[in-house]
Amino acid sequence: MAALLETAGLSKRFGGLVATNGVDVAIAAGEIRGLIGPNGAGKTTLVNLLTGLYAPDAGDIRLAGESIAGLSPHRIARKGLLRSFQVTRLFGNLSLLDNLLLPYLARGSGAVAEGLARARHFLDLTRLAPLAEAPAKSLSGGQRALLQVVCGFMVPELKCYVLDEPFAGINPVIKDRIIELILADNAERGTTFLIVSHEMTVMRRLCPKITVMIEGRVIAEGTLEEVAARRDVVEAYLGKTLA
Amino acid sequence: MKRQLFALVDWRRLVLVAAALTAPLLLLPLVADAYALHVLTISLYYVILAASWNLLAGVTGQFSLAHQAFAAIGGYGSGLLVRHLGAPLWASMPFGVALAALLGFALGRIVLKMRAIYLAIATWAFAETIHILLTAAYRFTRGELGLTVPALYRSAGPAAYYYTFLVLALVSVLAMYLVVRSPMGFFMCAIKDDELRAQSFGVDTVRVKTAVFTLTSAFAGLAGAFYAHYTLVLSPQMADFSEMAKLIIMVVVGGLGSFAGPLITAAPIQILTTYLEKYGEWDMVIYAVLVIALMRSYPGGLAALAGELRGRLAPSRPRHAAPKHPLPDPPP
Repeated sequence: MAALLETAGLSKRFGGLVATNGVDVAIAAGEIRGLIGPNGAGKTTLVNLLTGLYAPDAGDIRLAGESIAGLSPHRIARKGLLRSFQVTRLFGNLSLLDNLLLPYLARGSGAVAEGLARARHFLDLTRLAPLAEAPAKSLSGGQRALLQVVCGFMVPELKCYVLDEPFAGINPVIKDRIIELILADNAERGTTFLIVSHEMTVMRRLCPKITVMIEGRVIAEGTLEEVAARRDVVEAYLGKTLA
Repeated sequence: MKRQLFALVDWRRLVLVAAALTAPLLLLPLVADAYALHVLTISLYYVILAASWNLLAGVTGQFSLAHQAFAAIGGYGSGLLVRHLGAPLWASMPFGVALAALLGFALGRIVLKMRAIYLAIATWAFAETIHILLTAAYRFTRGELGLTVPALYRSAGPAAYYYTFLVLALVSVLAMYLVVRSPMGFFMCAIKDDELRAQSFGVDTVRVKTAVFTLTSAFAGLAGAFYAHYTLVLSPQMADFSEMAKLIIMVVVGGLGSFAGPLITAAPIQILTTYLEKYGEWDMVIYAVLVIALMRSYPGGLAALAGELRGRLAPSRPRHAAPKHPLPDPPP
């Protein structure tokens, strides 16, 4: 199967630290891929490379066969590769409605009326509709995380959505709602997902295939059961056994 | 496509509000004497400056300290073209505006990657450079002696100038309102809140920020060019930091980032300043106390105060009704 998002020998160093070291990942169109690894493994660096926040020192990134390495973040976004941030980022002073409308308008085309209708649809779906006019900074942590994820769905051209720890520190109700949104969008328009998370139960539910990164390298790929059975993965998370 | 661009504008309300606010201003020349009209005319100059700086600093979050310099560039650009090349006003004034826009574009490019305090320092340095240039290059600008420039109208009373500035301010403010309500306005607010996130959705933040710098500088240049051919003598004082300080006070008291706030406070503050002039620099002390008191209790300025009062008067219809439990409790 042709990969929608593919990296080849992707490397990034910060001074003496090699944050990602020759990463090769291929994610098929329509796949929901999980990305796990202990803290400092280079997961967020990989996300930042994919979305143009960092320019790679070596290697290539291809989206639907086209190289996007070194492009600026807004160009990559317009090609349909969007992301969420690990620390929830919203436009705090804008209303929820405007927060949703912005990604729709940022594409530079599309009718405002359609964008508003779409925003209202997602507000209903997330049950945030009563707060439509409230500034986003008034939301609770879970609601903020929910809104952040939904903003990406506002973009009709969304091809691949990279979610950086969307479930961290969120109550189970909202967690379920985010999972449902991901599954629905994946089923309806075949959006590809790359999800970084430490929540193994969620990963088991969402991701048939998981990539494990340790110290900047991809060391394993497979189902959660397969990778969890590997000695090097367990050691990276828990440390080497003394025996 | 045009309809699409301003799909978020409530035209009927816009026309009603503009008409309601302008109507009493149209009648003022019937009751005000020549000096009062002069004070009002100058106030309208500050309305344009305050509103456009608010667009840059309040809405987009680019806290530039060079806005007064762009007014001076517009004024001197036009005045110098007339003096040295004998250009007619219909050519020299657009030249002044274009020069301000061009330099605004250049400055916008230079400070593109700078944040908050660094941007403020760099723009302040730019404005000081303009100020010193206008003073030091006295062979060219006549420095502190003042550059005499021809009048806008050959023979016209204060009322004609008052109406000219009123129309100028009205058109400028309406244009700014349309910008704020267009998708571009959304991007400006988004850049102020979180530039990186705006980029991550596909907003070309470089382009938006450069455009805002260019546009607001053009507005300042426009106001400056009209100011020049109204006051007839230009001095480097126009680019002095005290002018910028006055703009900051006007906008901050009105409400940084609120569209209406600075429009409403700019003129009264300028009028007050004029009548306090005979007491020397004391007006600054009054404003300082006012700003400190306001920042302490209402950082959003008078606009925030008005919002709270409105909320108190009509508690049955809060604008941001936030139910305490918008989400159902988790199932047992």
